[in-house]
Amino acid sequence: MPRSARDWLDLIRALPLREPVRIMNVCGGHERSITTAGLRGVLPPQIELIPGPGCPVCVCPEEAIYAAIQHGLRDGAIVVAYGDMLRVPVNVPKDEARSLEQARALGADIRPIASPLEAARIARDNPERQVVFLAAGFETTTAPLAALLQEGAPDNLLLVMAGRLTWPAVAMLLDSEQPGFDALIAPGHVSAVMGSDEWRFVPEKHGLPAAVAGFSPESLLAAFYAVIRQTLDGEADLTNCYPEVVRPQGNPAARRLLEASFAIGDAPWRGVGSIPASGYHLKGALRRHDAREQLPDHGAEQRRRAGEMPPGCDCARVVLGKIPPTACKLYGNPCTPRSPIGPCMVSDEGACRIWWSAGTR
Amino acid sequence: MCLGIPMQIIGIDGYNARASAKGVERDISLFMLQDELPAIGDFVIVHVGYAIQRISEDDARQSWELFDQILAESDA
Ligand code: SF4
Repeated sequence: MPRSARDWLDLIRALPLREPVRIMNVCGGHERSITTAGLRGVLPPQIELIPGPGCPVCVCPEEAIYAAIQHGLRDGAIVVAYGDMLRVPVNVPKDEARSLEQARALGADIRPIASPLEAARIARDNPERQVVFLAAGFETTTAPLAALLQEGAPDNLLLVMAGRLTWPAVAMLLDSEQPGFDALIAPGHVSAVMGSDEWRFVPEKHGLPAAVAGFSPESLLAAFYAVIRQTLDGEADLTNCYPEVVRPQGNPAARRLLEASFAIGDAPWRGVGSIPASGYHLKGALRRHDAREQLPDHGAEQRRRAGEMPPGCDCARVVLGKIPPTACKLYGNPCTPRSPIGPCMVSDEGACRIWWSAGTR
Repeated sequence: MCLGIPMQIIGIDGYNARASAKGVERDISLFMLQDELPAIGDFVIVHVGYAIQRISEDDARQSWELFDQILAESDA
C-alpha cells in the first residue's frame, strides 16, 4: 500500500531534525506542486524549500528573444514560440518592440505554439516563407525538438536555439563558494528523459543528499523524507522517489535523438552569464536550420543591457535560489502576472509567478 | 511549457497517435518511444506533443487530479 501524503508528513515530523536543512528543487513543476499543496506551511520550520533553476523561459537569453523579434519585424519571417515566451521583455529603448507580443501588435507574424510539431506544420503550410522557432526549454522540451529534426523537418524551419541542460546549473552552484542549499530534489521529467544517474554527481562528487521526485505531494514528501534521512544519517545518496517513470538510464531513444541532433557547449543564461556545457547547439548538417547562419544578425549582442534582466528585476538571483521572490523590491508592486517586469513573473514555471498566483505576499 | 501531462492512447498510425486526457483529444508523436512502442489503451506522459515515457493507469489518474487542482488555482 503506497504511503499517503499524511503518512509521509508524519514520518518527516517524527525525524529528530535539529539543524536547518535547505532543500532546493530545480523544476517549475515541482515548485508549483509544492506551492499549490502548501507544503512549506506544513513542514517543520527547520526545513526550507528553495526554488532553484527550474524555469527555462526565465533564463532564455535575452539576445535570442531580441533576435526572434527582429526576424519577425525586419526579415518578414513567421516567428513561433511557446506561449510563455511571447510576453518576456527584452531591454530596448521605449519606442521599440519589447516583446514578441508587442512585435505582433506592430504587424509581425508571431504565433504561439504548444509543440514542435506545430512549428513544422506551419513551415509546411508556408513553403515560400521562413519560419523561425524560438526554441527555449530544458531537456524535456529539447528532446522532442531532436525527434522532429531526426524525423525530418522542412528546410524553411529555422531555429533560434536556446535549449539548456539542467544539471550544469546545479553543478555551477555546487562548485561556487556558497551553493545555498544542503540537499537537492532532482527534476522528475528531466530525469525521465535523461536518467536518474545524471544526478549521481550531487552525492558522489559534492556529498549532498539527493532524490528524484514526481509531481504529487506524496512523491515530493517522500523525496524530502529521503534527503533528510540521508542528512541525519550523515550519508549522501541518490534516492529515486519516482521509479514508475524514471529509470537510471532514462529514455534511451530520446537520448540518442538528442545526441544525433545537438552538440553540447557553453551557453549564456539570462542575467547569470555563461554556464559551461549547458547549451544544445545544432550539429552537422542540421546547422542549415540555424537561424543565426541563415538570417541577418541584427546586433542582438551590441545593445545596451544585452543579455541582462530588465532594470530592477532580481530574477537572476531568484532563479539561482539566492533570494525568494518576495525579496525582490518589485514583487507585487509593480510586478504582477498582469504587468510582469521580468520573466520569472511571466512564465508559468517562474517562481515569482507561482508564488504570486498562490497568494504569497 | 514544461508540464508533462498523462494521456491515454486511443489510436495509433506509425509514430503518430491520437491521445486523450479527460475528454480532450490531441495528436501526439510516439517517436521518442520508438524502442518500446506503446499500444492502444496505454498511458503515456506527453510533453510538448511528444510521449516521453509510459506511465501506469493509476499514476495517470493521480496526476490528473493534481492538474485539476493546479488549473483551478491558476484560474483564480
Ligand atoms: S518580482 Fe518581477 S521584477 Fe522581481 S524578480 Fe520577480 S519577475 Fe523580476
